[in-house]
Amino acid sequence: MLSRFQIRLPSRKLFSRHTFYRVQRTYATQTPELYDVVCVGGGPAGLSLVTALRALSATSKLKIALVEGQDLCRNRLENVPNTEYSNRCSSLTPASLHFLKEIGAWNYINASRIQPYHSMEVWDGVSDSRISFDWASVGMPAAKTPGEDSNIIAYMTENTNLTTALLKRLEEVGGISIMDNTRVSNIELGQDTDTLDLRSWPILTLSNGRSIAARLLIGSDGAQSPVRNFAGIESRGWDYNRHGLVATLRLAAPSSSINPQTQLRTAYQRFLPTGPIALLPLPGPYATLVWSTLPSHATHLKSLSPPDFLASVNAAFRLSPVDIAYLHSIPSGQTSELAWRLQHTRVDAARVPPEVEGVQEGSVASFPLRMRHAATYVGERVALVGDAAHTVHPLAGQGLNQGQGDVAALVGVIERAVREGADIGAGMALEAYDAERWAQNNMLMGVVDKLHKLYSVESGPVVGLRSLGLSAVDKMGWLKGFLMQSAAGVR
Amino acid sequence: MLKRSLAQRSWSTARFGSLLAAPPEIRLFSVLNRPPPNYEGHVPLTTIERGALAVGSALGSLLNPRRHDLIAALGEATATPYFIYRLRNAMLASPTGRRILRDRPRITSQTLSMPYLRTLPPNTVGRTYAAWLDREGVSPDTRDQVRYIDNEECAYVMQRYRECHDFSHALTGLPVFIEGEIALKGFEYANTLLPMTGLSLTAVLRLKKAERERFFSTYLPWALANGFKAKEVINVYWEEQLETDVDDLRAELGVEKPPDLRDTRKMLREKRKAEKAAKEAKDRIGGLKDA
Repeated sequence: MLSRFQIRLPSRKLFSRHTFYRVQRTYATQTPELYDVVCVGGGPAGLSLVTALRALSATSKLKIALVEGQDLCRNRLENVPNTEYSNRCSSLTPASLHFLKEIGAWNYINASRIQPYHSMEVWDGVSDSRISFDWASVGMPAAKTPGEDSNIIAYMTENTNLTTALLKRLEEVGGISIMDNTRVSNIELGQDTDTLDLRSWPILTLSNGRSIAARLLIGSDGAQSPVRNFAGIESRGWDYNRHGLVATLRLAAPSSSINPQTQLRTAYQRFLPTGPIALLPLPGPYATLVWSTLPSHATHLKSLSPPDFLASVNAAFRLSPVDIAYLHSIPSGQTSELAWRLQHTRVDAARVPPEVEGVQEGSVASFPLRMRHAATYVGERVALVGDAAHTVHPLAGQGLNQGQGDVAALVGVIERAVREGADIGAGMALEAYDAERWAQNNMLMGVVDKLHKLYSVESGPVVGLRSLGLSAVDKMGWLKGFLMQSAAGVR
Repeated sequence: MLKRSLAQRSWSTARFGSLLAAPPEIRLFSVLNRPPPNYEGHVPLTTIERGALAVGSALGSLLNPRRHDLIAALGEATATPYFIYRLRNAMLASPTGRRILRDRPRITSQTLSMPYLRTLPPNTVGRTYAAWLDREGVSPDTRDQVRYIDNEECAYVMQRYRECHDFSHALTGLPVFIEGEIALKGFEYANTLLPMTGLSLTAVLRLKKAERERFFSTYLPWALANGFKAKEVINVYWEEQLETDVDDLRAELGVEKPPDLRDTRKMLREKRKAEKAAKEAKDRIGGLKDA
């Protein structure tokens, strides 16, 4: 017979990826409200999860609660002019788009603030070997649904645009207890009373005093996930010693070599030894910058005057690594240095982004980059989605899309469990979600991590080898197409 | 022997003909189709031409080290593809080097006035330079123009290196005859990594035995150790350093002065002369004794 304070060892090798977790025993004094699904965290992953559960007929009868610590209305996209864009943008793959359309959220998105792009230019900052991604050159269409432009690689979306659309869809379907401005004070397992046996149910004590019990507790509460800590799931990984610098920029008028009639937009990414710099298109003459660089460089860039900051960005796409490193070391004067060096540097105007000429005030910010992967995505009546499960380097634009993929898989698993009449929180039901997503995410994060490490090398034979490899992949259409399809989530 | 079919033969002939007929910009670089020069005096060379120039000038300058034009050509032929770019990047990495690349100063007998340099206080860079020029009996004459380096900025870097060679002599105090030149080339090789400077070290074959021993025991270790540990001498803005104290500059760059070669050789010569005179005197006295 199990004693009260026993450490429970895993009984199945399905749980072998984490060692053991300690069962906490405390006593709740009142019967908590019972919910089928409690989702902690109202970010894109959490919102699309609860929206999907309500949108699908099989799971729409579940009693669902969404707990979010911040005010959900605060970040809503309301009445922002189309000359201003948020600096937190994500690149939605066709697979994520497909999922959002299925759950009905895409109808509420502000389409005038979305920018689809049709090609991507990626090149090596040290050796100038390059690869161009576009569907036409590999002979494969991405879109699976008819009526959609099959040339699109991905859609640049502000995160607030996405969350606002999800909230609007959520308001339309209703039927969810949304508890925003509410923090989770404590999570513990329930007790065995005369009427209920809640020993395996997580009980959440909220900051407003309420106490709720979850048949299935879903953690979509970000990288520091308290739900993951409650489940005792270890999160393994490392810090990259890099910061991602973001900004919203305005582009100069495109040069005459770029055809304005076709409205085709291109994303650009250059791999510098300190990290990749990417310029992703937004509607109109705007673009979003994501520059992964050393923390000291990020601090320095944030301290520059706007003209010098813009000169640094233009330099990072055009000048040699020696010049870029020098520009990081001077407190001002980047504009004149860039003007001088451009006279002595050969730049192919058609293959670099248009010059940036303006930066949106207050949009320059940075955040630390890390890689973390939870040891497992499921526990007893616990599942993790989104950043709670994994954090990845932004160089491949996969973070939010991985979260949406997690949500799609978890919703599928819950739906199957409901159809079969199973307990949706039971390990046997949830294991399918872990099996479907863990290995796939692990592989993608591994590839992204190795790309980061490969392109951090500044000189030597590795540079030559990687340039040869990149040029080779550029010429092998079938391989390039395979990689594009994997990144787009359609394979 | 394979007989090519009629169709194949006419296809290859047609292709060759179309290559010749193409406009010069897209034709391959060959002796019949040289691209336009990038700067005044630029002579674009094909790879084979550059290789032949390297081999020919190496042999010629080994046979006659006074052929400074062959040494210059060897330097330019072997500097690309990597080494001159590395030197240019070393200049770009330093604030002073960048200023030199912006200003593009040239050292000629017009830009550096010798009478002015002689009036500077002793132990300044300018005075040491003037004194060295007077001691060796040379003048800051115009060096050969760079012709065979394609990148315009790298051509200036090579020209600057060549014009500052005499300043390196003044900095290290090495004399102008072959022993001093080889020691200085060793120092420059460790400092700039230009292949010509390393290849010049084969001229030790022309040294006499005593000189060779001196070179391997003292001057080569000095050259390599100091060249590697010193800062890049190409980044010194000599025109601005004329009035600084030369020992301060040596300390800042991390260069030690080697033993003075002229004094050493003079001392050894006098010692040999004294020994020879003493021996002759002893022989004469010995002879008288016998007689």
